[in-house]
Amino acid sequence: MSINSAFHSQRKWNIGFILFLTLLLLLLSQISIRLTLITALGISLGFVLQKSRFCLVSALRDPILIGMTQLTRAFLLLLGISILGFALVSWGASQSNIPLSLNIFPMGVHTVVGGLLFGIGMVLAGGCSTGIIIRIGEGFAMQMLAFFGLAVGSVLGERSLKSWRYTFGEWPGIFLPDIFGWVPTLILELIVLLTLWQLARWWQKKQLGE
Amino acid sequence: MKKTLQTIIHGPWAYWIGAIILGLLNILVLIVRRQPWGVTWNIEIWAEWIGTNLGVLSDRGFTFEGLMAASGTYLNLGLLLGAFWATLVASQVRFRPIRDKKFFFSALIGGLLMGYGARIAYGCNVGALLNGIASSSLTGWIFAFAVFLGTWLGSKLLLKYLM
Amino acid sequence: MTRFSIDIWGEMCPIPLIKAKKKLSSMQCGDILVLETEHSCTSRGIVVWAKANRYIIEEKEVANGIWHLELTKTHD
Repeated sequence: MSINSAFHSQRKWNIGFILFLTLLLLLLSQISIRLTLITALGISLGFVLQKSRFCLVSALRDPILIGMTQLTRAFLLLLGISILGFALVSWGASQSNIPLSLNIFPMGVHTVVGGLLFGIGMVLAGGCSTGIIIRIGEGFAMQMLAFFGLAVGSVLGERSLKSWRYTFGEWPGIFLPDIFGWVPTLILELIVLLTLWQLARWWQKKQLGE
Repeated sequence: MKKTLQTIIHGPWAYWIGAIILGLLNILVLIVRRQPWGVTWNIEIWAEWIGTNLGVLSDRGFTFEGLMAASGTYLNLGLLLGAFWATLVASQVRFRPIRDKKFFFSALIGGLLMGYGARIAYGCNVGALLNGIASSSLTGWIFAFAVFLGTWLGSKLLLKYLM
Repeated sequence: MTRFSIDIWGEMCPIPLIKAKKKLSSMQCGDILVLETEHSCTSRGIVVWAKANRYIIEEKEVANGIWHLELTKTHD
């Protein structure tokens, strides 16, 4: 096999693309600073997700199929950072009366059914909805098709949500700090994450040891 | 120094480094957007708008102006551009076609299931799982458990039909 | 010391790794398994897995976005 003969630098294209991104952000900044910031954050998220090969499907699936939990533990770390950060931000927002909405969604049978379908779907499609967008950026035709499926499926889901609610009912979402208070909730959540982390580590050792 | 820069540009980065940066970015999105990062709802409203314009869906009142003002549009666009850029800086851009018929079906079916599941549960891995849990919502933890079970079922299907 | 290779071209994660594991179990110590993929995550996943298993792994980019992997089975 020939080594390195088919490798061409894409540096010129890269410079062109950086110019394009800069122009895009400059143009957007004339319309809305907020949207410019959000676009920049989106680009950073996409960049980091691709560069670190972060994949939420892999984090949930590989412990089952391969016995590897490195990515699972990284995901738990991401959860821990997010929990603490969200708590800090929402505390700060309430101190200075800035409106802020968190993702406290109502729950019902459809939460569980939706999660199950989502879990099955993401293993088959080779990426969750974020992962699919990342992989389209990498040039995968398979995920472009999956994206089409995702768009159609999401319309079907949104339009049948009413009947799920009507048939099985729905309960308002529970914001854990409302029940336990902020500090105990954070401690509880971090203990759960740490336990899962230890469990994941033990699981990988056990799987590799065989 | 040059080698470090090379690693940063070329990657891949360690998973835990990715996790820390993603965590910080996730928090920044919450600060700027005043609402956590989410992916599928925006895809759904674009699909509604396209479907309405093609005449296959009843109008639920989504306008082009409304979509262009939605922050989710810019997050998703940014994700796509960012991922492409990350591939480009490492000179790894190429078109990767589907090389086996089985993946044609699995992608389509998987996508459909995922879209449907995400919308009846109010979110995907990011909106409902990561940021549901990050918001200290009980629903997030329940959803996470359901997704994990779903992944297990999906793995069984993968071993049976895709291997 | 024999060189084996399996066809994982175009396969989605985690099928390449499952196939590689299967092939590896039928190989002798010192044998080399050659793999080639265009999936960035697949290549990364195999490298991380091989390192965790203390196998020798070499990763090379042979063309834009194509990774060539050589895994040496160092132990049973």
